[in-house]
Amino acid sequence: MLRGSTVVPLFLVALSTGTLRAQTVDDGSLLPRRGIGTGLLYAHDSWSQYWEGSLKRGNGNIGTLTTQSVTWVAGYGVTDRLSVMAMLPYVRTHASEGPLHGMDGLQDITLAAKYQLLATPLTDRGTLRAMVVGVAGIPVSNYTPDFQPLSIGLASRRFSGRFTLNFQAHQGWFLNGSAAYTWRAKVTLDRPAYYTNGQLYLSDEVAMPDVFDYTVTAGYERGRLCVPVSLSQQRTLGGGDIRRQDMPFVSNRMDFVKVGALAMYSLPGPKALGIRIGASRIVSGRNVGQATTLTAGLFHTFQL
Amino acid sequence: MRPTIAAPALALAVACAACDNTITSSEALPPLQAASLDSTAGSWSMIVLSGPTQFTVAAPAAETSAAYTTELAAIKTVQSNLSAAQHRSVDYWSGGGVLRWNQIVRELVARFNLPPAPRADGTYPVPDPENPFADPQFPFANPPYAARAYSYVAVAQYEALKTAWYWKYQYHRRSPARIDGGIRALRPVSDLPAYPSEDAVLSGVTVEMLKVLFPAAVAEITQRAAEQRNAALWSGKAAASDIAAGLALGKAVAAVFIARSGADGMKNAVGNPAQWHALADSALARGETPWISQESPPRPPMLPNFGQLQAWLMTPAEVTTERPPAPPSTSSAEMLQELGEVRRTVDHLSGAQLAIAYKWNDGAGTYAPPGHWNDIAAEYIRDAQLSEVRAARAFALLNMAMHDAAVGCWGVKYLYFNPRPGQLDPSIKTVIGLPNFPSYPSGHSTFSASAATVLSYLFPQGAPDFAAMKEEASISRLYGGIHYRSDIERGKEHGARIGGYAVRFAQLDGAN
Repeated sequence: MLRGSTVVPLFLVALSTGTLRAQTVDDGSLLPRRGIGTGLLYAHDSWSQYWEGSLKRGNGNIGTLTTQSVTWVAGYGVTDRLSVMAMLPYVRTHASEGPLHGMDGLQDITLAAKYQLLATPLTDRGTLRAMVVGVAGIPVSNYTPDFQPLSIGLASRRFSGRFTLNFQAHQGWFLNGSAAYTWRAKVTLDRPAYYTNGQLYLSDEVAMPDVFDYTVTAGYERGRLCVPVSLSQQRTLGGGDIRRQDMPFVSNRMDFVKVGALAMYSLPGPKALGIRIGASRIVSGRNVGQATTLTAGLFHTFQL
Repeated sequence: MRPTIAAPALALAVACAACDNTITSSEALPPLQAASLDSTAGSWSMIVLSGPTQFTVAAPAAETSAAYTTELAAIKTVQSNLSAAQHRSVDYWSGGGVLRWNQIVRELVARFNLPPAPRADGTYPVPDPENPFADPQFPFANPPYAARAYSYVAVAQYEALKTAWYWKYQYHRRSPARIDGGIRALRPVSDLPAYPSEDAVLSGVTVEMLKVLFPAAVAEITQRAAEQRNAALWSGKAAASDIAAGLALGKAVAAVFIARSGADGMKNAVGNPAQWHALADSALARGETPWISQESPPRPPMLPNFGQLQAWLMTPAEVTTERPPAPPSTSSAEMLQELGEVRRTVDHLSGAQLAIAYKWNDGAGTYAPPGHWNDIAAEYIRDAQLSEVRAARAFALLNMAMHDAAVGCWGVKYLYFNPRPGQLDPSIKTVIGLPNFPSYPSGHSTFSASAATVLSYLFPQGAPDFAAMKEEASISRLYGGIHYRSDIERGKEHGARIGGYAVRFAQLDGAN
């Protein structure tokens, strides 16, 4: 998937009682007990240059590859220390040039459980939290992963174990570090053989290498506004490069470094509504597109 | 654990257990125990060679000779100290040399089936056999090139093995494991005479053919061929002199086919800009819309002179006679109607249709359509436990038919130079890669019909399956958005006629 991410960013917003916080699988916050957050997130992701292995190039038969998605997200505070989350994106791809047909469909449902191991005052300046998160991704439609980069996803079931450390200063600054290891199940193609990583496989099954990723986020939160910036990296622990002038393949080694910024704002008024806009850009990569991603979302939280 | 945590934790554990990454090969090869020795194969009809005595294999030393006794002792020594890697080699090659080499050639085709990348100025370099390691690598193993490569390997192997069988039954030398009780048979050893060794014949003939067809893979090919010969020795199946005689015979037969490949017309298949322009001018002169490359930057058409190659089983006159009629005019109402069908189909594909399009895509980076049919055939050949020489016959018949299908199809493609659907209606987008050559007739349909015709003759019990696969492969090109229905229908008819030549050859070749 030249879209560059195997672990789709998860954004949920908890906006209870005036506290504004983007709750994602990799941040250090939780929903309060019996708190519900739900919303829709639109993402526009596009690239015109990609890395064929380590060679950066454009392709006149693709032009600009645009992926748009609308994702339904929801979270629930089971206890004050345990939140569960779900998200489901509808994805549409389009190539601006060349003969290839775009694809669209429901992609993968993501289910996550985030558990707070620790929340302790650190010096007098703030609070340190530690979280563990389990994330499962399951394709919900039988879209093909065999038409990269037009496929809407990789069609692989996956499970991530994630650990997050978060420091929230009393003055509104916060710092967050999160890392995850993702195991991915083999995918099944419609064809009986494929060539990747220097070998012909006489099988319709493709082994998917594991993935390691981390994200460091720093931000400032004051009143109704929260502005985090982030640096993240994904490393795929195996898989072959796209060969010279070949199409990308589902199990390619997809690596990237990405920078991003968000602005989240809690709307005034009786309804606990929040909006967020974001932008990110891949700054280096391998077997991925150099994507620029713009996001906009609207979220609502309430207590049961 | 508190119940509130238990439920999600359980769900996640289940999800993780599903992350199984074991890959199951569809083409595992158990040790070959041939259903028949095919002891008369030395008299089966030749295709290129004059007969089994075109090459003489000198008589071996007697089984009781001192020289041969020394060879047997050497096998015992090596068998007493085989490494795990040597055992793996023996196991690998025990699956059958013809089947293994077919798998290897499919892998080579997939590796080399990549078009050259464009230069910065928008032109394309041409792969150069004199400089195979450069960018672009040589060859670009596209469908016609692949069809030809599969056929050269298969026919050369078949002719070499028939010759070997002839000499085997002249000399009747037994295999070492049959002669000496101290030598273990690490793979099935039959009553087939060991001299000259069929493994070494295959090794010699194949390595020489592949060096010409895939010169950039020479190191790997040479290593594999040596491994095959060693495995024959280590397994107690052949002695050093069996192997030496087989290797020499294999290489001698290869030389005949290498000479043929240098003069079969492939050298001129790429053509030149003047010829490419003449193809378009000819279509315009007939009042038709000529094919235009839809790639960016535009790429020269794929092997426009491949249709002039020497066929295996058809004379040039027969190649011409069997051609289908002209396609509907690009300006006709019929063409408009067909164009509409492509657009409606590709924009409203069911999941099942999309899966069929991907199943039979066989585009760049794959073993190509002829490879797909070799893949299909391999499992039938394995399951029928064909002897090496009969397995080689099956692959030779199949791949001669597909090579001649490529010659026939490419000849027609460049005779009419018909545009692809997406050229006439740019709103038609494809769900598989768009091949860079004229539309009429469909190569997949021609290949598949020729292959299904041959395989149905060889494996009559599989005929319904071959027919269904042929239909599916052919219609997959309409689902993919790259062919009109008439391309497919005329291609199937053309392919079936061409496959008939291989069937008629097989009916009279003495192998039945």
